[in-house]
Amino acid sequence: MKRLVALILCALMALPALSLAEEEKVLNILSWEGYVDGDTLAAFEEETGIDVIWSPMDSIDSMLLKVTEGGGADYDLIISSDYSLDILRKQGLIQKLDMSKLSNYGNLDPAFLSQSYDPDNEYVIPYMAGCPLIIYDPERVSFEITGYEDLWNPELADSVAVLENARVLCGITLKTMGKSMNETDPDVLAEMKEKLMPLYPNIRTFGDLESYSAVTTGEASVGFMFTPFVYMVQLDHPEFEVVYPKEGLGYGIDGLVIPTGAKHVDAAHQFLDYLMRPEVAANNAEKQYYMCVNEAAREYLSDAYREASVMNVPAELLKDAEFILDVGATETTYQEIYTAFKNQ
Amino acid sequence: MKKHSFGSLLFIGLVLLVMYLPIAVVIVYSFNANTARIPIDFTGWTTDWYAKLFEGRSGFGDALLLSVRVALWAVVISCVIGTLGAIGMARRVDGKSSRLDTAMESLMSLPIMIPEIILGLAFMVVFNAMGIRGNDLRLVLAHVTFCIPYVFLNVKSRLVGMDPALFDAARDLGASPARVVRDITLPLCRPAIMSGAFLALAMSLDDFVISFFVYGAGEGTLPIKIYSSVKVGVSPQVNALCTLIMGVVFIAVALSRYLSSMRAARQRRLERQIRAA
Repeated sequence: MKRLVALILCALMALPALSLAEEEKVLNILSWEGYVDGDTLAAFEEETGIDVIWSPMDSIDSMLLKVTEGGGADYDLIISSDYSLDILRKQGLIQKLDMSKLSNYGNLDPAFLSQSYDPDNEYVIPYMAGCPLIIYDPERVSFEITGYEDLWNPELADSVAVLENARVLCGITLKTMGKSMNETDPDVLAEMKEKLMPLYPNIRTFGDLESYSAVTTGEASVGFMFTPFVYMVQLDHPEFEVVYPKEGLGYGIDGLVIPTGAKHVDAAHQFLDYLMRPEVAANNAEKQYYMCVNEAAREYLSDAYREASVMNVPAELLKDAEFILDVGATETTYQEIYTAFKNQ
Repeated sequence: MKKHSFGSLLFIGLVLLVMYLPIAVVIVYSFNANTARIPIDFTGWTTDWYAKLFEGRSGFGDALLLSVRVALWAVVISCVIGTLGAIGMARRVDGKSSRLDTAMESLMSLPIMIPEIILGLAFMVVFNAMGIRGNDLRLVLAHVTFCIPYVFLNVKSRLVGMDPALFDAARDLGASPARVVRDITLPLCRPAIMSGAFLALAMSLDDFVISFFVYGAGEGTLPIKIYSSVKVGVSPQVNALCTLIMGVVFIAVALSRYLSSMRAARQRRLERQIRAA
């Protein structure tokens, strides 16, 4: 018993000591595990002597909860998606960047700047971008696919693999009706539901990994997927056709922001500047399978990447591409429609 | 020995196949040499994934160690608190339970009734307000909270089924209350404490929602790191990790079976000798 008490006392003393060992040259990043690969982080640490601590997040919603509740003081950089950055900015949880410390800012491709979540380019450094696109095997599809509307074609019964995302799938249905992906009018949404329901018999699989494997193994002849998965299919099957849907594209940009309460603001700027170096940016885009947002990085990209149509969406299409926005309470309606769709 | 018909053997075989095929796939794929981001084909044998587990930042080994460290602390502390609590509550000799007792009991099991996300948020708010910053401390405190009920409820139900005369007899023979607890209550409760501890261990290792909110900056626990990999693709390291964990569990179970069968055999031998004498 005495030993047990001693053990517990030791534990209580040791616990705070474990976590107080914090140095000055530290950078705390909150994002998806592996979203900047380990070699790149190691090279940055080597060069600057800054210790990078990567905190993995599991979903954008819980990241938002955590940062709003905790004030974000634990982190010096957050990498997350467009709409969530908008929420953070509107709540005053992220700070303005010090452009004098970002010598490589000019390398960025203007096509990815001045977005709705940061119109004056004060808060966000874009990191990766992507558009969900259609890819199909022309050998096994008897007609030419040009837009989302074609996914409803009865000829594609049980042969379409799609990503699993209520807002995106409802969004493309709205696009076929000539509406915005962020529609909040209940009548339009009811109409959208009527339109979406009959798509079900054509769907072979849902989900990113599932769709990738279904399309690349030939189980499904058509895929509607996010950028990395379309790219992987393209690497496996260069003969497949990639479609920029004629109704208009969906869009997503992941960006880096510095929380208001960040304690290592200098280190954060150093890291941002490092990521914007052409060779680093090229390497990151190739490793993450997303569109490269850095213009100067183009010459460092591999041929396979540069030739993949999924990575080269024309700038004029991107201009009209639509982000999925935060629609507040209407989100529930979208989720309900999607649940009804999946439970047919 | 009863002979099984072909039909029943086939049925058992199918059930076992469905249950164990996924595990077999995990084990085989932990040796897959395919380095594609999403490996589908099996392209050859390698042990690289095992080596990578403990290779710096991209390795899952550190997250595993954090998970195990937190789980062990949480289990030890919650076993002490849970057992003492259960014994203390059951020691009311008069057999009456006051309203306070009932309230205490409900309070003890509250942490497993509250939705995890609420508990996680609540911990985060409180820890932030109190300025408790250390990751380990935050994780252990939170895990202890939801581990206690598993030990407490297990030990308590064991105590309820026990003959109170045992304790009275010990007291009658001159044992101090502390000695009764040490020599009678605790040994009798040991199976319940053990099973509570294993449940708590499993819950702690498995917990994701609460841990995510509680931990601040730094390496997350294993479940957090795995969930967080969805964006970039879960590394085949996870297969290697699962294989290792299953291996450890398998060996532990086999060992405990072997030990208990040895004990049973010794018991039988002893009984035979007594009868012969």
